[in-house]
Amino acid sequence: MSAASLHSRTAGKPSAGIPPTGRGGAPRKARRNRRWMIFSLLPVVLFFVVLSVFPVFNLIGTSLYDVRWSGGDSTYHFIGLENYRQLFSTEVIYWAGLRNTLIFAVCAVTAQMILGFSMALAVKRAGAMGRTLLTGIFLLPIVVPPIVIGSVWRLVLGREFGLANGFLGLFGIPPVDWLGNPDIALASVIFVDVWHWTPFVFILMLAGLEAIDEEVLEAARMDVRSSWQEIRHVIVPMMLPTIVITLMFRIILSFKVFDEVYLLTSGGPGTATEVVNFSIYRVFFNQDRVGYGSAMAVITLFGMTLAIIVGRGLLVRKRKNDERKLEQ
Amino acid sequence: MKSRSLGRAVSTLTIWLYAAIILVPMVWVMTNAFKYKIDIITGTVFAPITWSNFEALLFSRQSNFASALANSAIVSGTATIVIIIMATMAAFTMTVMRVPNWVRWSILGWALLFNMLPTLTFVGSWYLMFASADLTGTYFALITTQIVNLLPIALFLMMSFMASLPPELIQAARMDGCAYDQVFWKIAFPLVRGGMIATTALVFIFSWSDFAIALTLSNSDTMTAPVAISTYAQEFEIRYGEMAAATLLTIVPAITLILVGQKFIVRGLLAGAVK
Amino acid sequence: MKTITARLLAGSTAIAAVATFAAAANAADTVRIAINQSPWLDSFIEMVDLYESETGNTVELDVVPFTGLLEKIRNSLRAADGDYDIVNVNALWLPEIYSAGYLKPLAEIREGYKLGDGTLSYGGTTYWDSTTGTFSEDGQLLGVPLNGNVQVLYYNSEIYDRLNLEVPQDWDGLIANAKAIQAEGDAYGFVPRAARGSIVYNFTPYAYTQNGAYVTVKGDKSVEVSINSPEVLKALEVYLTLANEAGPPNPGAIAQGEMIQLMSTGRGAQTIGVIAAWGSFENPNESRVAGKIEATLIPAGPTGTRASSAGHWVAGIAGNVSPERQDAALDFLDWFQGLDVQTAYVRAGGVPVRGDLGKTDLGQSEEFRFIEAYSENAANAVMALPFPQANEVSDALALRLNQAVIGELEPAAALNDAADAIAEIFEREGYDVSRLPAL
Repeated sequence: MSAASLHSRTAGKPSAGIPPTGRGGAPRKARRNRRWMIFSLLPVVLFFVVLSVFPVFNLIGTSLYDVRWSGGDSTYHFIGLENYRQLFSTEVIYWAGLRNTLIFAVCAVTAQMILGFSMALAVKRAGAMGRTLLTGIFLLPIVVPPIVIGSVWRLVLGREFGLANGFLGLFGIPPVDWLGNPDIALASVIFVDVWHWTPFVFILMLAGLEAIDEEVLEAARMDVRSSWQEIRHVIVPMMLPTIVITLMFRIILSFKVFDEVYLLTSGGPGTATEVVNFSIYRVFFNQDRVGYGSAMAVITLFGMTLAIIVGRGLLVRKRKNDERKLEQ
Repeated sequence: MKSRSLGRAVSTLTIWLYAAIILVPMVWVMTNAFKYKIDIITGTVFAPITWSNFEALLFSRQSNFASALANSAIVSGTATIVIIIMATMAAFTMTVMRVPNWVRWSILGWALLFNMLPTLTFVGSWYLMFASADLTGTYFALITTQIVNLLPIALFLMMSFMASLPPELIQAARMDGCAYDQVFWKIAFPLVRGGMIATTALVFIFSWSDFAIALTLSNSDTMTAPVAISTYAQEFEIRYGEMAAATLLTIVPAITLILVGQKFIVRGLLAGAVK
Repeated sequence: MKTITARLLAGSTAIAAVATFAAAANAADTVRIAINQSPWLDSFIEMVDLYESETGNTVELDVVPFTGLLEKIRNSLRAADGDYDIVNVNALWLPEIYSAGYLKPLAEIREGYKLGDGTLSYGGTTYWDSTTGTFSEDGQLLGVPLNGNVQVLYYNSEIYDRLNLEVPQDWDGLIANAKAIQAEGDAYGFVPRAARGSIVYNFTPYAYTQNGAYVTVKGDKSVEVSINSPEVLKALEVYLTLANEAGPPNPGAIAQGEMIQLMSTGRGAQTIGVIAAWGSFENPNESRVAGKIEATLIPAGPTGTRASSAGHWVAGIAGNVSPERQDAALDFLDWFQGLDVQTAYVRAGGVPVRGDLGKTDLGQSEEFRFIEAYSENAANAVMALPFPQANEVSDALALRLNQAVIGELEPAAALNDAADAIAEIFEREGYDVSRLPAL
């Protein structure tokens, strides 16, 4: 929805200046344009219709059922909102997971956005040599499959033999149980996620920065005093479409985090690092309660929507404030 | 002036410190590929070198990692190409052309909804669909599900890059009598190349490391690299050595692709500057 | 534009061609097995090779990561026509798979078929009684164990010798040993596997040697939730004493991987763990204590009760494949239980599914000295969650036990909480539920 409104805004731009019909051969060109429109959109629509409509409706529909297998056959009992009632009345683990996921999403995404953006700026300003080297290094973590990230960081952060404690030991700092201590386990998981996914933001910010027209930038530079102001009042507004989309997908992806946490902590100790996708996985697959698991997925969808609306709202409002300040 | 150069030094230092935070665990993982398990779990930095992990990975009866890598390349390569073509064209049309509002809203709304629901809850439905067509375990099933799964993110990213195209250029081309397909090829496509490369890289990486879909829809012949890697995270132990070796073999193609892609980014920029 | 369309078309044709190619294959006379990747897989593959060379039949293995196996099995068993003839089912999944009726009873494939004489049933877990909804030898035989696995008590004999410790016969003895080792300071006295994903399985021998039980099945759709009994509370206190007074810090995060890591590096002196870990301890490339770890009986409770928890794998034959395939599958499973085959299986590094190998020359060999401890513990193996809701009950119980370990809940409160949660599950499923008074 944030994206949709974004584009209804941008979509108005070209058409505003272009007369609805051109000069000669207008009907032929209109036909050609319509053909292009259909040609370019049809494959996307086809893919969605064939491969995503059934799964999504199946998911939402299943959340109203209790599915059972006996005699090698399934039976679907319609139970209305019973799965939701149960989710809101007796569920414990899922809600702990949702709370953690919200904390996780806010902290990890904020850190990733700031870090990714700064890294992109740094690379853009670096010399040719440093640029290639830094881009290569900064992108490395994202290339490693999440399943490996989980198991590797479990070793690195291990209390007894972990690399992290080994390093701290050089300075005489006593070992920390990064993943075993319930008070800091979630922070450790967030750190790992930031380490892994910042390149996602970095690569998109870099592409966004490269796309900015140098002349426009030069012209804008005249009006600002410091490089901080330049970033805040020139670069960020110009990259806003990319920033908003990146933020939105980072929020979505952080709600979907699974493989990493699965091998890193499996949600423990207690519910310290439980995340929603892990609860859904457990109910959906281990316990084979697809109806209840679907209800969790639907409720998570609402939570996620809320987070995106709030996140985008903060960003856009902040920008409006900034613009107002600049005008003053 | 003095404070400025000091600030620059501090920021350079910070950047390289961050690079070190990335590199150190990375290098450590890679060296694990050449160690015995006992040295890995005790965190020994300098340990005797062994090739046994690679041997187990490539030549044992349990594992056929080379074929898993080939499967990954086929699946991710095909899916990425199809996705990027479809997403770029659709993003252009929806950003630049006057698409009926209900079409725009249906496509974007649906893409977002679909992307926000957890993928792992769809896998069962997909399995049912492909099983009824007798297509489970085929490349076809893996590729088409990868495409639909990553299409939303590619679509939105490409739209955001299309949105930063200068409107004046498109207007000018339209005034010159270009139809929209010509505007796409002549103006949008060259200018948005940087964004396209970034999107391609991300889509490829996501597809390359997908685990949830491939796990259910592949079989022993079409198993992809991440699924093969996950077989080393077992019920009774995590076989770190083999896992590290597998990771090393998996990320080398991806890194190569990124470094090559980077060249294209720079070249794409130059082309944009000349325009 | 035309060329692009043409290219797209050509591309999709190519994909479809490849797809068809991959979908073909599979002759009808091969036995298709879904099996998990594991440390014992290599030895199983050796047996498959042996079978193929002895009989000329072929066996095809689909090796799946442990995480994905259950879903793969379900998908195949639920399809109109199954992908697999034999599915390898983990002990915890057995009630679900059995009760759903996916598997073909072995006696329906071959009239009067019975398990081999020496073959273990691990507390009757190869049988399912659909009238009472639990494991029982009165029910139908639905599978043959493919890999044995139970918990045993491991100890580091070097540390025992140094401190002059005896092999403990009861829990007090184990605690005393653990505290003595911890006091010396070189190694942790005892390593619990108390992470959420591990703790229910790990805690089972404690509870059952105290004559406790999590849930007692009393008949058709009737259970007693007995987790909050004084016996289980005593067991939890023993568990917490070992975990918090003689073990590594933050035991609530120790899963199987950490446990094996601590033991094989010599940092842990004693643990209760699966026999499948034996290979890791004995392999000098994975362990600093190769040859120094011994396996023995898990300590007895105050009344002398012994117990271990079963974590074995059972092979079932799919109901949704042709009778010829089912017949071929049973041929393989029948062959697999033979004494010679099982002896060869052990020599190749597998955990046997027979209880009588201690009497063979394997029992005398130093290399296979675990066989006796394994057989003794296997005879005491219990399945603590013998009902189709096993996974759900296990998750509910695991959370509370883990919270007791990390100190979020008092032991009695943890068990009361668990009892409430478990009772809720059974009530929702329409069971007749009886409860104990709160602790």
